[in-house]
Amino acid sequence: MQNIYEAQNANKRKSALILILFILFTTVVVYFLSQAFSVYLGYEPGGLGFVGIALIISGLMSLGSYYFSDRIVLAISGARPADRSREFDFYTVTENLAIGTGLPKPKLYVIEDSAPNAFATGRNPEHAVICATTGLLHKLSRTELEGVLAHELSHIRNYDILLMSMVSVLVGMIALLADWFLRMSLYGGRGRDKDKGQLGAIILVVGLLFAVLSPFVAQLIRLAISRRREFTADAGAVAITRQPQGLISALTKISADHEPLEAANKATAHLYIVNPFKEHGKGAINWFAGLFNTHPPIEERLKVLGQMV
Amino acid sequence: MGLFWILIVVVVVVGLWVVSTYNFFVSSKARIKAAVQEIGNQLKRQADLIPNLETSAKGYLSHEKGIYKDLTDARKAVANALKTGDVQKMSDAGSQLASLIPSLQIMVESNPELKANTVVVKLMDELRDTADKVMFARRLVIDLTADFNVKRVSVPSSFVANMFGFAELPGLITPEAGEHVETKAEELKTPKVDLS
Repeated sequence: MQNIYEAQNANKRKSALILILFILFTTVVVYFLSQAFSVYLGYEPGGLGFVGIALIISGLMSLGSYYFSDRIVLAISGARPADRSREFDFYTVTENLAIGTGLPKPKLYVIEDSAPNAFATGRNPEHAVICATTGLLHKLSRTELEGVLAHELSHIRNYDILLMSMVSVLVGMIALLADWFLRMSLYGGRGRDKDKGQLGAIILVVGLLFAVLSPFVAQLIRLAISRRREFTADAGAVAITRQPQGLISALTKISADHEPLEAANKATAHLYIVNPFKEHGKGAINWFAGLFNTHPPIEERLKVLGQMV
Repeated sequence: MGLFWILIVVVVVVGLWVVSTYNFFVSSKARIKAAVQEIGNQLKRQADLIPNLETSAKGYLSHEKGIYKDLTDARKAVANALKTGDVQKMSDAGSQLASLIPSLQIMVESNPELKANTVVVKLMDELRDTADKVMFARRLVIDLTADFNVKRVSVPSSFVANMFGFAELPGLITPEAGEHVETKAEELKTPKVDLS
C-alpha cells in the first residue's frame, strides 16, 4: 500500500534513473562514434565536429516544434477553442483544477471526433493547451473528466513536454550521427588504411555496431521515459483530485472504446491520455510490442491506481 | 591559493542555496495569502448566485419555505465572513453553503416543472461548480501550507527556517479531537438503500 506522496516520490526516482541511463547511453554512443569518425578521417575533427553539428541540426528541428508545439499540434489536429456554455463541464472542471494546483488555466480546445481521448501540450504552464475530443466530453461524467484533465494538468505541471522535447533532440542527434557514419563507411574513401593499428580497427567495428544499433536503442529508452511519465501523471492526477476512482473509471471507459482517433499521428501519440492507436494484444509478443508503445498498458495503470484507492 | 578559491566557491554555493530556500518560504507565504483570497472570491460568487436561483425557482417552490431560510442564513454567514477576512470563518461559511446543495438538488430533481426549467438547471450547475471551486481553493491552501510546513521542519531547509524564524502555518484548522474523528457503531454498518 502506497500513499500518493510515496507514489509520486517513487515515480520521480524512477524517472531520474531512466534519464541518467539515457544520458550515459548518449555519452557512450557519441564518444565511440566520434572516435570512429576520427579513425576514418585520420584526424580529430576540430571546432564543432560532427557531434556539434548533429546536435545543432537535431536541436533546431526539435526545439522549433517544441517552441511552437501548441500552435503546430492544434493546426494538425484541426481543433477549435472550447466554449464555456457549450462545453460547461470541460471548461469549469479545468478552471477548478487550475485553482487547486495554482497553475494558470490552460487554453482549451475541442476536436470533433467521437473517439474519446485528450492531450496536453505547450512549452510551459503559461502556454499550455489541453485538447479533448467531443467523444470524451460526451462519454465521461464530471468526476471522470476531472481525473483525465488532472492527468493532463500533471503533464503540464511536470514540464513533461519540455522533457520529451529534450529527449527527442538527443535521439535525433544519435540518429543523425549514426546515419552519417553508415554513409561514410559505405561510400567514403578509406584513404590511409595502413596508418590504422589494431586499436583503430576495433574502434571502427564498435563504431559500426553503435551506428547500427544506437538509434534503435535510443528510441526504446525514449519510449520508456514516455511510459514512466504517464505513471507519474496518473499519480499526480490522484494527488490533485484525491479521487483515484474517477481516473480509473475514465480509463476503463476510454480503453473499452476501440475506435481509432483520426486526428492523431505518430508524432503526437505520446501526448494523449491513452495510446490513440489502440494496440491491443496479450502474452509475450505483447510484452515485446509494449516496448514500442508510448503508453503503459491500461491494465497496469489501473492496477497502480487501484493501489491508491 | 587553491584552498582560498575552493572556500569562495563553497561560500557562494551555500549563499545561493540559503537565498533560494529563503525565497521559497517567503513566496509560499504570499501564495497562501493569495489562495485564501481566492476562497473568499469564490464564496462571494457562490453567494451571488443564490438570489438568482431564488427568483427563478420561487414560483415552483412555494411550499419549501425552510430551504429559503437556510439559504438566506448561509448567504449572511458568507457576507460576514468576507468582511472579517478570516480564513476559518470563510471556510466554515463555505461548508454551510455547500451542505445545502444536495437538498437543493433533490428539490429540483423531484419537481418535474423545475427540472424542465433550463434557467434553474443552469443555476444548479453553476452552484455545484462553485462549490467545487471553493473546495479546490481550500485544497490549494492546504497543499501549500503542507509544503511550507514540511520544508520548515526537514533538514537542511529547517536551518534556514530557524535562522529567519519562520513559524509553522496553521492552514485550515480542523479540530483534532471531537465528533468528526470518532466512528460510531452505526457508521460501521453497510448502509442499506431502500428504493421501494
